[in-house]
Amino acid sequence: MISLYRPGSSALHRMRAGLKILLFAAAALAIGVLATNPVAVGIAGLAVVAAYLVAGFGVTELVRQVLAARWVIVVMAVTQLVFLPAAVAATNTGRVTLVIVLAGLLTLTTRVPDMIDVVEWAARPLRRFGVDPASLSLVFAITITAIPVIAGFAAEIREAQRARGVLLAPHALVVPLLVMSLRYADDLGEAMVARGAD
Amino acid sequence: MNGPTISSEIVLDSASVEFDGRRALHDVTVRLDQRRIGVIGSNGSGKSTFARLLNGLVVATSGRVAVHGIDPARDGKKLRRDVGFVFSSPDAQIIMPTVAEDVAFSLRGSGLARDEVRERVSSVLAEFSLAEHADAPAHSLSGGQKQLLALAAILVKRPALIIADEPTASLDASNTKRIAAHLLDREHQLVLITHDMRLAARCDIVLWFDDARLVAVGEPATVIGDYERAHA
Repeated sequence: MISLYRPGSSALHRMRAGLKILLFAAAALAIGVLATNPVAVGIAGLAVVAAYLVAGFGVTELVRQVLAARWVIVVMAVTQLVFLPAAVAATNTGRVTLVIVLAGLLTLTTRVPDMIDVVEWAARPLRRFGVDPASLSLVFAITITAIPVIAGFAAEIREAQRARGVLLAPHALVVPLLVMSLRYADDLGEAMVARGAD
Repeated sequence: MNGPTISSEIVLDSASVEFDGRRALHDVTVRLDQRRIGVIGSNGSGKSTFARLLNGLVVATSGRVAVHGIDPARDGKKLRRDVGFVFSSPDAQIIMPTVAEDVAFSLRGSGLARDEVRERVSSVLAEFSLAEHADAPAHSLSGGQKQLLALAAILVKRPALIIADEPTASLDASNTKRIAAHLLDREHQLVLITHDMRLAARCDIVLWFDDARLVAVGEPATVIGDYERAHA
């Protein structure tokens, strides 16, 4: 499941969402540009561990975030190892992993409405191109909400397949998942209108 | 008819709804000012279309509809500020990721100060026994808790009218009782679409739909009795 806000009183929790997003974006950029070898990735890793400790989460939460992204990390590591030297593959995979867990820390310490406010504020210049900032921020919120719902549909379908003796049938997963997701989108649209979000 | 009446009226005058040439509601004329209005009927009889007609989610193909003096087709947005809609499946009603955020979403654009929003959200969550789940992902709640959340998110707006479309359809007895208490024992006007005759019996008036037509309106005991005999 996508990581969500955990209440706390750390400096990261108290920081204004806009400033925090800027800081995290700068940190991600710094990791991308400066962490060009395994030692530098290790140093950046220590900084990320420190950020988790400052936020009051500890290493357990950091490990949980890494485990949540394990398939992205594995696929990236394996594909790079095929074409690149081990040290380069480890550096690249390490950088991506650090950025993923940093993004996790951002959502763990920032309430979604605060992030939505930032998205809405940042999207204001797009108004002149006909983009409604409020709608854009709502799309952002709904995307976060919908991920666990659609993952739940997939789990439901897999369970039904197992109950009928089908062990693994990806092709039989896609069609019902698409139908359930479209129906969900339909119902959600109707509920949004009913709740005054039209 | 039993129960208190309020000045707010729901009026349908020869209202019909068609979808792709199929008649979903046919020539419904009724005037309602009771506080608790029950709606019963078989699946596909027109109950849900009737419910959606009242807040402008569905527009009448012909005839006239007025809810609290507002035409839902013309001023749907204005009407929906004061009308809450509870669906049978709470999953699609949850818009924001966490419980407190979803309740607070209902108050966006209300003009209330942040502190007041926080206070109203906390108060309604406590009332619905959801306070300890305030920061939990909304979709991690049980089915009963999700329906309580859906209702809390409606009631935090303090609407004058709530339309509930089979809100207890997938709930156990204990959660049905809790949802029913929140819906039936408050001051708002309620239009309750239900297959649960015990809930319908607690309303002040009951409407029976069959094959897209309103076939009976009246005292709950009489209408429910006729309905049950017709389906015995």
